[in-house]
Formats: sequence, structure tokens, C-alpha cells
Amino acid sequence: MVFVISKTKYITSMGELKRKDNSIVFRNEKGNTYIPIEGIREIVCLNEIKINTKFLDYISRFGVVLHFFNYYGQYSGTFYPKENLISGKIKVKQVQAYLDENKRLNICKSIVNGIAINIHETLYHYYKHGNKDIKDILDWLRKEVPILLEKEINIKRILFIEGLVWQRFYSIFNKILKEEFVFNKRVKRPPDNPLNALISFGNSVIYSKTITQIYGTHLDQSISYLHEPSEGRFSLSLDISEVFKPVIVFKTIFDCVNNRKIQVDKHFNKKLNYCLLNDEGRNIFITELEKRLNSVFVHKGLNRKTTYLNAIKLDGYKLIKYLVEDKKFVPFSLKEMY
Amino acid sequence: MISIKITGTIINYYIHCKRQCWLFGNRINLEDNSEDVRIGKILHEIKSQESKSSEISIDNIKIDKITGEYLVELKKSDADLNSTKWQVLLYLKKLKEKGIIRKGKIEVIEKKKQDKKIHYVELTQEYEEELDKLLLDIEKFLSSEKPPIAERSSKCKKCAYYEYCNI
Repeated sequence: MVFVISKTKYITSMGELKRKDNSIVFRNEKGNTYIPIEGIREIVCLNEIKINTKFLDYISRFGVVLHFFNYYGQYSGTFYPKENLISGKIKVKQVQAYLDENKRLNICKSIVNGIAINIHETLYHYYKHGNKDIKDILDWLRKEVPILLEKEINIKRILFIEGLVWQRFYSIFNKILKEEFVFNKRVKRPPDNPLNALISFGNSVIYSKTITQIYGTHLDQSISYLHEPSEGRFSLSLDISEVFKPVIVFKTIFDCVNNRKIQVDKHFNKKLNYCLLNDEGRNIFITELEKRLNSVFVHKGLNRKTTYLNAIKLDGYKLIKYLVEDKKFVPFSLKEMY
Repeated sequence: MISIKITGTIINYYIHCKRQCWLFGNRINLEDNSEDVRIGKILHEIKSQESKSSEISIDNIKIDKITGEYLVELKKSDADLNSTKWQVLLYLKKLKEKGIIRKGKIEVIEKKKQDKKIHYVELTQEYEEELDKLLLDIEKFLSSEKPPIAERSSKCKKCAYYEYCNI
């Protein structure tokens, strides 16, 4: 099955991707599905897919990025086409900012503060609708986190604060989510319950989306600030995607769970202890994630309508602007819509 | 001798918008998703197929079309003819250095501000001197550490750098 949302093609069934004349064709036992190359930016493979170099060569000419996920919904890698936007100047500045402690700390503090703001905005909805239990965490996020970050602290301390922000966020899930999605603690590889499965899968999707968005800028994917630039990973994508997790992933999860769009007994694989979304569950979740990514808002800085997906690329631009022009880096804020 | 670095696009941008020129000249050439640019490119292709002599590259400049008398530059619209004029003057000068003397002709596909589709420009002594000065200015300008601050105006609306400048 191939389904098409915006400029992303998700391939959820087994088959083969090929170049056919000047188009892409997905072939399986059910037949051929043609995917015109012009309309797409990325292809997400969520099942076993056969490809050949002729196909890879073709999509790289059009700058199409190919992401692979394994059977368990875990991200396994990206085919990253030949870079078309290369700027030596920006690469040098990116490295300089990493080595310049002050600059690096500024970027990291902005990101962590951005996470706190966006979590606050996400949770405030529940407070507004009568959930007074979460007032403490709201106050902490709004008042204390910025103070903690204002201090003269090192990168380790910033990472500790970041950990704390997520931890406190997870700790109130039981207060805002339907009972069947009881959540003890965040477990990653592999997720141990339905909610962890949703979080892991959602985070991986936003991570791959961010890779594609950064591909549209001059930034080098491997040079990051909050996360250590470790070899073989697109760690800048981890940095940039961080503030979008509450906005895209968690808002979608809360919506799917509380509005019963996704249910434990219907949309998870029983054999695997409900720790894995089944095909139907995965399709629902992707559709909802995509809807949110492609929803439109008026961007305060641009004074123009744009999508959350584009806002990820704009955060890349903001980083470039900090590197090249020293303009303070303020990641996307759900409060300011900037 | 003109520096090898400065292209027709760079001189065009320098007249049109200094910030755009700095960013482009420093290889910060953002992906352009705008429909206008796409139309411009396609018009270019169609026109160069019509005329048998296709695009010619000399050093680092690309010339749309050259005839016995004219060097021809094709533009989608006449929104900023002054920038195009300097672009053409640069080409004329480059050609002259190679011993090829031509006059400049700008062909506009959609006229908006002017009532004619063809505009002529000649490389006079005065222009040549002005151009030399301009090229020196541009070189100095491009090597400055930062681009000039963005000033929003109506011409920004369709620019590929709009998002970058206003973010």
C-alpha cells in the first residue's frame, strides 16, 4: 500500500521501488502504483522494499530523500542524495560555533527553553479545560526553567535540565491520558508498552522529517550542539527536531489517545504485548501526524501563512542566521508562533 | 581585467538588492520553490531551443543568445530592467575583451512596467568606466564579514530569500 500525503510518500507494504521511464513505480503482487517524481520530496519505507542503483540515481537527481524504518517501526537510516546546497562558509561557521563555548551554550539553552515553552503550551490546553492537577508543572516550566537556564552553566548541566523537563512532562501523562494507556516510565529500545511505542515511532518520524528539511538548507547534518556530533548520525536533526516533538508528536498522541482514534486492543499487535502498532494503527497515526505537520498557521516573523513542516526548515534558517549574522537563535515557539 | 568571480547574476543582484547579492555571492543560495523562477527557467529553455545558437559560456558568464549584431538577454519580466542593463553591460565588456564587439538587446517576455518588449543598451566609454568602479565595489562588498541588514520592501515578496531575511 502506498499512501500519499503532501510531499511525502509512505510505503507500508512489501514490494519493489523502480524507475520506470521518467517516473517512479512501486510494484508488488497487487500491481503497479506510479509516483510522479515532481510532486515529492521524500519517500518513507515502512516495510521490506527492494531497490536498485538506477532508482537511487534517479531520485538523487531530483533531491528526493529516502528513509527506511524496520519492522518494529524503528528508524534504520536514510539514503541522502548528493548535496546540492553546499556552502563552505556555513560549514566553517557551524564548526566555529560548536567550538566557541559561548555560542554553543547559547544555542543549547535556546533549544531547551524552546522545549519547555512548547510543552507548556501543549499542556496549558488541559489546564484551561479544568485539569488543575498539572498547575505545578506548568508553573515550573514557565518560571523556573528559564531561571535555571539563565545561570552560568555548562553543557552537562543543560542536558540535565533537558532531561528533567521531559521527565516531568512524562510524569503527568497519567493525569491527562485515557486509562488504558497507563504509562509507567519512558522506555526506548524497544518500547515496552503502547504509549512508548507511539512516542518512539512519532519521534522517529519527526527526526526523519527534519533530515529532509535540513537537506533543503546549507547546514551540515552532522554538526550539532545539544547532542554531541557523533559519527554516522545526523545529530543536527536531533537538535532541530527537539522543540517540535511536543508540537507535533505529543499533540498528535494526546489527540489520538483521548479521542479514541487509536485504541490499545484494536491498533496494537497483541502477540507482542501491545508494544507495536499494527498496520491500521500505524496508518492512522501517520495520517494524523501528517495532518498536523501540514496544517497552516500565520507565522509572526514572516507575516505569512506557513506549515509546521516548513517551520522546521525555518528553524534551520534561524540557525544559519545566528551563525552568519549573529541574530539570536530562538527556535519555533508554539506560544509566539514564530 | 575584470575579476573572474563576478557573474552576471551577481552584478544583477547587486543593483537589485545588496543583501541578496551578498548571500548569493557567498554561496548561500537558497532553494527556490517559487513558481516565477520555474517559469523563468522554462521560458529560457524554450527560447534557447527556438534559436539555434544555444546558451554560450565564456569564462564564468553565460550568454543567452548571440547574433551578428547583438548579444541577447532574455527575461521573464521587465520588473527590474536597470539590474538587467548592468548584467548585459558586463557581458558586453567580457566579449569586448575577447575581441567580440556587440550591442546589447534585452528581450522581455512579459511587459509590465514598460510598453515595449525589446530594450537596447550599448557599452559606451562612460559605462565602461562606471562598470570598472562597480566591479571593484562589488568585490569589496562581497568580502565583508556580514550581509547588510534586511530591509523589507515590495520587491521582497517574491524573492527566494524572503523567509531567510524575515525569520
